[in-house]
Amino acid sequence: MRLSIDESYAGKHVLLTGASGFLGKVWLTIMLQRDPGVARYYIVLRRKATRTARQRFERIIQTSPAFRPLHERYGKDLAAFINERIELIDGDVSSDGLGIEPETAARLRRDVDLIVHCAGLVDFDPDLRDALTTNVDGTICVADFAESCAKAALLHISTCYVAGTRNGRIAEVLTPNYTPNGEDFDAAAELVDARARIAEIEAEFEGPDRAAEIHLHAIKQIRERGRNPDNPKLVKTIARRIKRQMLKDAMIEEGQDRAKRRGWTNIYTYTKSLAESVLAPRVDRLRFAILRPAIVESSLADPFPGWNQGFNTCGPLSYMLAGWFRELPLRSGNLFDVVPVDYVCNGMTIAGAALLQGDHELIYQCGTSDKNPLAIDRALDLTGLAHRKHLRRKGDTVVDRVLLARWDGVETEIDHTLSIPNIRKVTQGFAKLMRDLPARWPEAVHERARKAADRADELDGDLDTIEHLIDLYLPFIYENDFVFETNNLLKYDIPEEAFRFDPKALDWRKYWIDVHIPGLRKWCYPLFEGKTPENYKPRHKFTLDEAPASEGQPEGGLR
Amino acid sequence: MTTPKRAAFFRAEGVLVSRGVLAATAYYAANAQKFSERALRFGVVALSAPLQGLLGQNDRTLANRIAFLAARGMSEDRLAELGEEYAEDILKDKILDRGVELLKRARAEGNRVVVLSDNITEIMEPLLQHLPKIDDLVCNHLEIVDGEATGKLLDPVIGSHGDGRWAQAYAERHGLDLKACTAYGSHGTDLLLLAAVGKPCAVNPDFTLRRSAREADWPTIEYQEKD
Repeated sequence: MRLSIDESYAGKHVLLTGASGFLGKVWLTIMLQRDPGVARYYIVLRRKATRTARQRFERIIQTSPAFRPLHERYGKDLAAFINERIELIDGDVSSDGLGIEPETAARLRRDVDLIVHCAGLVDFDPDLRDALTTNVDGTICVADFAESCAKAALLHISTCYVAGTRNGRIAEVLTPNYTPNGEDFDAAAELVDARARIAEIEAEFEGPDRAAEIHLHAIKQIRERGRNPDNPKLVKTIARRIKRQMLKDAMIEEGQDRAKRRGWTNIYTYTKSLAESVLAPRVDRLRFAILRPAIVESSLADPFPGWNQGFNTCGPLSYMLAGWFRELPLRSGNLFDVVPVDYVCNGMTIAGAALLQGDHELIYQCGTSDKNPLAIDRALDLTGLAHRKHLRRKGDTVVDRVLLARWDGVETEIDHTLSIPNIRKVTQGFAKLMRDLPARWPEAVHERARKAADRADELDGDLDTIEHLIDLYLPFIYENDFVFETNNLLKYDIPEEAFRFDPKALDWRKYWIDVHIPGLRKWCYPLFEGKTPENYKPRHKFTLDEAPASEGQPEGGLR
Repeated sequence: MTTPKRAAFFRAEGVLVSRGVLAATAYYAANAQKFSERALRFGVVALSAPLQGLLGQNDRTLANRIAFLAARGMSEDRLAELGEEYAEDILKDKILDRGVELLKRARAEGNRVVVLSDNITEIMEPLLQHLPKIDDLVCNHLEIVDGEATGKLLDPVIGSHGDGRWAQAYAERHGLDLKACTAYGSHGTDLLLLAAVGKPCAVNPDFTLRRSAREADWPTIEYQEKD
């Protein structure tokens, strides 16, 4: 079926949410670079802390390396180019009417042809309140807004992993009130119940028992830091901090329980699946499609090879494998559905074009496991080879260049002798032994033993982080084996070659070793080391225009 | 432009590079994914070493087959990466300058240049970018099943007496006049190849080839890495 991207998007008005995120940003840059003739992009961005939406957007374009190709192409004319095509909308996707000022909202309702809803919280296990607000309420508000528009269709970005802990082939279907374990389920009732439970937990934290417990914690913490516990202001500040953290932990625990009870892997997939369920009943009154990407990773080519942003699935795992950690529990042959972000962006563009043409499917899965599968053990081997290639030439020390470069990650079982829990038992036992030395032994020995015990504690802390990470990833690398059917995106004949989605064309070895892992090394690993990845510093400063941008757009460029 | 009617055949090992199959397979063995695998694979290479020495002057088929068993179970990705690494970091520095000169001269004389190697594609293809342009590379291929090497060399195995027959078939396919062709060999296994062409030349010959070259009155060239 022929589907021309240029013909579909020509003269259309597109509203984008989540433009500050990895996927949204790359999609925007690709669309601006390839320019299929969109008349206007409306970027909905919320203010954050002290930064206005305008300041945030300017900063994104000014500093994000994703915009580098546009800076290089347009130079000092980039501002004019952006102002001509983009209108920034100060709003909040999780508020009614997207939190957009009424006059602007009315105009958008009249003009917008396509809403691309990328905004979402992609952390695996965030605070349940945040996840519900962003992933579920955000989708409800965007869908409400789309329904209130004169002609807008909605492209909602979800994830293949809403499938949860199921194995086998996952079809491109939308099942209302879906749960992975197949139990009777009512998504609307679940939302009401989850919110009620959140209110209960919050109330519990306001009660006197919790307050007393938190107060004691605060006093203990202040004493441990060698500060004065009689300072009421300090106690109050510390107690407030402890309360916030404990409340967050309680919310995460509640979210994890709810997700796991029904068979989802984590809070992210649970809330994303709820969002799909709240969209499902609108099928008769709203023109929408859901695009489910698999694991979105570094770009293959656009905006430039290897671009990545923030923490992601491969980042922490491959980072661990670059150090001394080598035994990763995984099940050989299980598929690891990674897809480069620019492939996903092409999928989004195709699905959007199909929506604009009114010839769309309800679900588009966008992965590689169906057409060009990558097994997890192959991914591990490629990761080892990529680290080897880097360390042999650029390792910081001789140990890196000679030993680490030749020490590849290997697959193990969860209960392997050298598994992290077993190593932790040894380090904890060692620390205890060092602290429980007979009192009659000389002080010098005790002093050294204390130091060794502290070192063992530090190591135990690191291992705890690794253990936690592995637990998070086990559903994807060990416990489940999915194949996400990817047929709907491939049914279109796209005349514009640059917009084609062709998972079969991906050369895993070249991508993993020469693009993906080097990209993670540059853009993600610094985050794990508490550093900031390098920002882009364009030659020309970018500022958004406040003046009317073009004819027919009397309200101007910034709202 | 018409295809040249004559060709120059170069045995890579001993003529163009000073390292053979054993060094390559030892490199693979030493860089397998797991430490335990490395020892085992080294054992296989060690086993093939005396065979290379004993039988290598007549027919290297068996020795090559055993040596490449060291790559059994290794992923296609690892074979390719290590092959590239070996070619770039080790083999490139073992290229024999005099051999390269011979190759350039053959090309300048209008010969179709063909390189034969006992090594595998994963090593030889990356090496080609460090050699003057050639027309054909004929080397060994490891069988790959489901992304892993089975350890079996696909037929015909290069490094056997079959190379002579192969040269005849190649000449027929490309319309070459073998009497006008040149061949540079360095081992006893190259005897039939050298005998098949009109201008044979023994380069750094082993005992068997040296004796035969002397008897057949073939020219012999000797050079080393630093020549």
